[in-house]
Amino acid sequence: MNQTFYLRPKFGVVWLLLFFLSAFSLSAQDRRVTGTITSADNSALAGATLLVKGTTTGTVSDGDGNFAINVNGNNAILVVSATGFSTQEIPVGEQATVNVQMQDSESALSEVVVTGYTTETRRQTTSAVATVRTKDLAVVPTGNVEQQLQGRVSGLTVITNGQPGTASLVRIRGFGSFGGNQPLFVVDGVPTQNINFLSPDDIENTTVMKDASSASIYGARAASGVIVITTKRGPKTPQKLKVSYDALFGWTDPGQGQEILSPQETADWTWTAIRNTAAANGVPVVYKNDQYGTGNTPVLPDFINVGGQGGLSASQVNLAEESRKYNVNPDNGPVYQVVRANKEGTDWYGAITRTAPVMRHNLGFSGATESARYYLGLSLQDQAGILLYNDFRRHTFRANTEFDLGKRVRFGENLQFTYRQVLGQGGGNDGAGVPSDENSILGAFRMNPIIPVYDEYGGYAGTAAKGFNNSRNPVAERDGLKDNKGYGVSGFGNVYVEVDLLQDLTFKTSLGGNYGNFTGRNYNRRSYENSENNGAFGYGEFSGNSFSWVVTNTLQYKKKFGIHGLELLLGQEALKDGGFRSINASGLDPFSQDPNYITLSNVSSRVVTSFNQTPWTYSSYFGRAHYSLLDKYYITGLIRRDGSSRFGPDTRYGVFPGISAAWRVSGESFMDGVSWIEDLKLRAGWGQMGNDQVSPTNQFSAFASSLGSAAYAINGSNSGVSEGFYQGQVGNPNAQWEVSTTSNVGLEFLLLNGKFDFVIDLWKKETDKLLFAVPLAQVLGGFAQAPAQNVASMLNQGIDLQIINKGRLGGNSRYEATLTGSWLHNEITKVADNIPYFDAAGGGRLAGNLVRNQVGQSISSFFGYQVLGYFKDAAEVASAPEQEGAGPGRFRFADLNSLDDDGNLTGKPDGVIDAADRTFIGSPVPKFTGGLNLKVVMGMFDVETYLYTSVGNKIFNMSKWYTDFYPSFTGAAIGARVKDSWTPDNLDAETPIFETASNFSTNTQPNSWYVEDGSFLRMQNINIGYNLVNILPGRVKVSRARVYVGANNIFTITKYKGLDPAVGGAADTNFGIDVGNYPVTRSVIVGLGLTF
Amino acid sequence: MKNSFNHITKAFTALSVVLILILVVSACKKDFLEVPANGSLTEEVLSSKKGLDGLLVGCYSILTGRAASFYTGMGNWVHGSILGGEANKGTNAGDQTVVNPVERYETLPNNGLVGDKWRITYEGVARCNTLLRLVGSTTDGTVTAEDKVRLIAEARFLRGLYYFELKRLWNNVPYVDETMTAEEAVKVSNNVDVYPKIEADLQHAFDNLPETQSALGRANKWAAGALLAKVYLYEKKFAEAKTLFTDVINNGKTSSGEKYDLMARYADNFNAEFDNNKESVFAAQAAVNTGDIGNSNNENVLNFPYNTGSDGPAGCCGFFQPSFDLVNSFRTDANGLPLLDGSYNNPANAVKSDQGLLSSDPFTADAGNLDPRLDHSVGRRSIPYLDWIDHPGNNWIRDQAYAGPYSPKKFVYYKATSSTLTDGSSWTRGYTAQNQPIIRFADVLLMAAEAEIEAGSLEKAREYVNRVRARAADPGTWVKKGGSNAANYVIGMYNSPWTDQGVARTAVRLERKLELSGEGQRFFDLVRWGVAADVLNAYLQHDGTLLPTQLGGATFTAGKNEYYPIPQSQIDLQGPGVLKQNPGY
Repeated sequence: MNQTFYLRPKFGVVWLLLFFLSAFSLSAQDRRVTGTITSADNSALAGATLLVKGTTTGTVSDGDGNFAINVNGNNAILVVSATGFSTQEIPVGEQATVNVQMQDSESALSEVVVTGYTTETRRQTTSAVATVRTKDLAVVPTGNVEQQLQGRVSGLTVITNGQPGTASLVRIRGFGSFGGNQPLFVVDGVPTQNINFLSPDDIENTTVMKDASSASIYGARAASGVIVITTKRGPKTPQKLKVSYDALFGWTDPGQGQEILSPQETADWTWTAIRNTAAANGVPVVYKNDQYGTGNTPVLPDFINVGGQGGLSASQVNLAEESRKYNVNPDNGPVYQVVRANKEGTDWYGAITRTAPVMRHNLGFSGATESARYYLGLSLQDQAGILLYNDFRRHTFRANTEFDLGKRVRFGENLQFTYRQVLGQGGGNDGAGVPSDENSILGAFRMNPIIPVYDEYGGYAGTAAKGFNNSRNPVAERDGLKDNKGYGVSGFGNVYVEVDLLQDLTFKTSLGGNYGNFTGRNYNRRSYENSENNGAFGYGEFSGNSFSWVVTNTLQYKKKFGIHGLELLLGQEALKDGGFRSINASGLDPFSQDPNYITLSNVSSRVVTSFNQTPWTYSSYFGRAHYSLLDKYYITGLIRRDGSSRFGPDTRYGVFPGISAAWRVSGESFMDGVSWIEDLKLRAGWGQMGNDQVSPTNQFSAFASSLGSAAYAINGSNSGVSEGFYQGQVGNPNAQWEVSTTSNVGLEFLLLNGKFDFVIDLWKKETDKLLFAVPLAQVLGGFAQAPAQNVASMLNQGIDLQIINKGRLGGNSRYEATLTGSWLHNEITKVADNIPYFDAAGGGRLAGNLVRNQVGQSISSFFGYQVLGYFKDAAEVASAPEQEGAGPGRFRFADLNSLDDDGNLTGKPDGVIDAADRTFIGSPVPKFTGGLNLKVVMGMFDVETYLYTSVGNKIFNMSKWYTDFYPSFTGAAIGARVKDSWTPDNLDAETPIFETASNFSTNTQPNSWYVEDGSFLRMQNINIGYNLVNILPGRVKVSRARVYVGANNIFTITKYKGLDPAVGGAADTNFGIDVGNYPVTRSVIVGLGLTF
Repeated sequence: MKNSFNHITKAFTALSVVLILILVVSACKKDFLEVPANGSLTEEVLSSKKGLDGLLVGCYSILTGRAASFYTGMGNWVHGSILGGEANKGTNAGDQTVVNPVERYETLPNNGLVGDKWRITYEGVARCNTLLRLVGSTTDGTVTAEDKVRLIAEARFLRGLYYFELKRLWNNVPYVDETMTAEEAVKVSNNVDVYPKIEADLQHAFDNLPETQSALGRANKWAAGALLAKVYLYEKKFAEAKTLFTDVINNGKTSSGEKYDLMARYADNFNAEFDNNKESVFAAQAAVNTGDIGNSNNENVLNFPYNTGSDGPAGCCGFFQPSFDLVNSFRTDANGLPLLDGSYNNPANAVKSDQGLLSSDPFTADAGNLDPRLDHSVGRRSIPYLDWIDHPGNNWIRDQAYAGPYSPKKFVYYKATSSTLTDGSSWTRGYTAQNQPIIRFADVLLMAAEAEIEAGSLEKAREYVNRVRARAADPGTWVKKGGSNAANYVIGMYNSPWTDQGVARTAVRLERKLELSGEGQRFFDLVRWGVAADVLNAYLQHDGTLLPTQLGGATFTAGKNEYYPIPQSQIDLQGPGVLKQNPGY
């Protein structure tokens, strides 16, 4: 076996597994020990876990606190643990009966805080850090670790959507910058921008470093906070192989779409629009519609499209004859469809969605010998989205091992290999931008329900039928994705060597890296069923790879001298990241559309492009000192110097200091009498962190060649162009880091033997020299990318609060409640000299921009006209300020401002509504986010529920533009809200008058009517678990066996009228706009956890 | 087992220590933090002959608008034709609402399409300035003195053209050239007339450009001459214009050396198969299947009949629908002459349309006298739509009650060219290879006629106008349906001598409307003639009654709507002290 292993290392993993698996079938002579577990008040304690130390033998106490366990020999030690109690180790000796009284835990203080290059306990901590117990989160069926953190850590905002595998907006303590506010993730010491590869079950510990006094150790990249993730590893002391298996199965229900008018109602309301318009124009009513006829009442046709003719009754159509003309293949001649009206109405949302299954399996192997420790993890997540052909799949293999090479040297590695596949995802920035996309979900609310999904003979039906405007059959659109494939394979991790140079002095060197490779192909079907069709069948392939590495050397010294404690850390780091190459090719119209036939070799009009991203490098030095006196007074200082290739030679070095101190008031003698205070700590910190998120080429002025931007048919050819050049970028060699200065004051209480755990932090973060690409005046050209300059500034401040309360509800019931809350105030304090604002979001369907980032406002604030209401009548129109297109039932905008002769805003109304009257109409930044986690353990049962809330954020509900106005694509679906539209008898209506006019006063301008309160409270999760160890056959050596059922997203309380109030976006300067958000919907799960 | 672990781990350790050492050493090297930009070029590299040639291609490329939006090309279908009342936005109320206020002369300073045109046109200026600067400073020996002359002349031609575009649209524009630093450029106010600078650029181009060019897309001497003469006309420098137009008409030739002349068939000017013909003085070159639709005629991509299925072209998006007023003005009298008294909109003269009818309703087309150019310019019910089917009326119209019964025709591709001269790589086939004319010879003749009239030589003007009409009057070139003329085409020459300057002016101006409809000229003509308010308010009154939702109640304000507002974002950026808003906004 040694031979085999040695000679064929690629099978090593398999052999290793077999070896370990065979190990745990070996067992010696056992004897039985029984006993009872009680709590401090002598009541029976159910569900306590007992483990024979150094083995995998374990059990759980039953409802009366009784247990029975097999031990071997007389040296066995029982490890007894239970939530809320200190873990005890009981030597069994020769006893046959062991009774254990558990003591309430005070573990909160000894909790380990991993701060990247080092670790400390909560008792010592002088800065604002939060740890997350990952096992609480594993019940969330998402495979994304970042989504699981939503609401769990005060100060951490996560805005996400319902797509499996999506990226989310993850922000620690607000938005310090205009871009690149994603926190730095550090996984086992390796920094990364993205943790979408991690399997939740592999994670041991997550620490969120919120404030500069701790995060400054990461210097130039720490301004958005640092999330340090440590994956599981083998136990420190020898222990036989322990195998754990966790599985989760779930089903997500798509729920209901938006309410759409039925076909008959749609026709009736079309007539209403015609009537209202004629009245507004003062002309006689003329009813005419391609489908509904010309009568005084609209008539639903039987056929909406027979060879291009609509509005036909059954008697006008000879199906036998028409079937012979039917053709939906454009290659075979003109398309000729026969489409029957669906008078019942098509549920388009239902047609593009499905009940989506999810499953997750994780197999973990851990153990240790005298000289080696290991954890191996295998995981699979397979999750379908509620949209057709939207799927996520991830396989991971993780191996974390550490070996002692003699007494002073340890060698180890943490490695993960990942296969990851996301199909059919929408939205920019890896799915985060889906809310602002015109995607299939929006398509479902735009398709007139009289259109069936399929035509009479099996082809797709659609807006090729006259008069329904231009939405595309979303079912066809989704079906078109079915052959698309793509996946990424990556390797991530590090190898390290640790040397104890002296007893208290440790040197560690680590080499980390990340290699990623992706490939995929997609097909673009040639459509025929829509009014606007794809003219050709398209095929594309892409692939690429990225590579980064980091090398870190640290020297660490930890020593206690009597009442003094000293910890010193010195380090050096170098890294190279961002190098990325890809190739992308596409072509048209292969001879056959069989996916097995098509390659790039058999398509025409081939276009090949490739991309070569400039990498960036860093060279850094850092140090940290921690001093404690009498275990009461603590002070920590840290400093880092970074050099970065992103900046020019004169500005590329930055120094980032941090200092913090803490006073354990409860350690003072005057507190001795106050027995109900277990711990009281006051701490304060200050520090500076950097943000470097500029293009790695920001310092260079550069010209580019571009087919799209600068090629030209200079020779007069109809098919060939000559290469042209243009300035693609203006450089700024003087750009440097943004600097965020953070101050933080915190108070920590531990009361009544740990029954209450209370942490509050007041913080303020001022970002200065904020990098902003000051727009270039267009007289200098309209194409060149403007360079980032250090001109802007931003203020974030807030309060983070965490309260934990735990206790007993009686005999064998216990509870634990964790409440987190974060208040956030975000404000832009400067954009640039003489530049008070910049606009971000294109309105798409509305005139101008929806979003303005301006001094005194939060980031991504919505900008438009303030709606005062609807004009009541002609008299009000006449007396109101002059407004283009004003009329009864239309929006009346507020006259707030005007321009003086020099073109400056006066702040005074001028009797005319124009662009100067636009104002701030809402901010998507939540003022408060929080979570409440409640856990109750009753005997063998446990129940856990989790509620999340986001308060004070606004949403720009752009989807109403499509559904609530007749002229926004005339003939498309009409939303049910128009039933409460304005009439002279319904002045206080939900929507304006229903009419065909499209002008300044109707549907063309961004205004406050679209802006809705996005606050919500969601019960995100409830789980009921049962520990079934004792009912399993006695021969099975199982130390943990738990089954649970649960539900997610059980209910959402919100006033928001769109599909879902969780509306993020692809960029921080432009989010909270809901065009077609992918909703987070209800799911049920069942799960199983085993350890043996 | 344990042994092997130790072997492996020791090997690993040794290996990783070596690796780490290598990395540490390389990281400590001074140039570790020097990472050059990938995939880009520096000014130095582009100062070679090939580099400068490529930069010049970049200057030309702006002529296509680069698909930056639908409003950035040189065809000016919105800025020239729709604002000139030749067409309305078309389609339906909700699509591209950015055009809605513009066509109603309610444009606000933050309007997106106005900003798009400003941005792209100044990009053209900036590229020319960069090229001129680099030609001036190049030390590359491969760039000969001859090369420099040609590069400078072509760049100045283009810069003159872009500034002319800016001048026509905004009137008050800042003039930035290659001698200014960026800091100086952003402080240039828009309070100085730029016509002298445009003249200087174009005169330089006229004096220095060759008569023929090996690449057909390049401007030659005569393109510069024609454009300069056009600028003179806008400046009312009629004598200079007349002299130069005469030179162009007598001696001008295309870049391929062919003498300027009218094509025998009017319609051939609007077919990609005949791009760069002898009538093309200067055009934006379009090409398809090049890998990017920015190289095609992308500004007209929306301007096709709607939802045609496979019976018609593109299928999208129903924009740019010719106006009733335009169609009616093709009415001719018994002599085949247009109704110079403007009575074409009278109910008795108006062209019969199928407005209000479904395609299934019976319809007989207008039987009155019509100028045959109507059916080369406008798609209307029952008339063959190029080589597609007969226009079916309402079925190809997206929202007839909103936008009327007509479809655009000049920039629509033929069925015969649909797989070769259109681009299949995008969401529509409507990206075509058809060049966008900027100046064609018929335009030159009619501008020359204007100059002659102002100089008092009315008969020369009549000769030019008749030359244009004669081409249109060839029955062999008319639209045929079932072997005979598709409508009652009657067109004649102005046979009586012109004696009244005013009548002659009216005749030439109406001839421009008929000959050049849909080509982005009309609004600029109306403004320079000083008649925009009268003509356009009459148009709004007429078409606004027929299309109340789109145009009802709109008015053109004299003294304001002749020019667009300066984009508010640019005023905010450069300061109201630098860029002053145009009057009335």
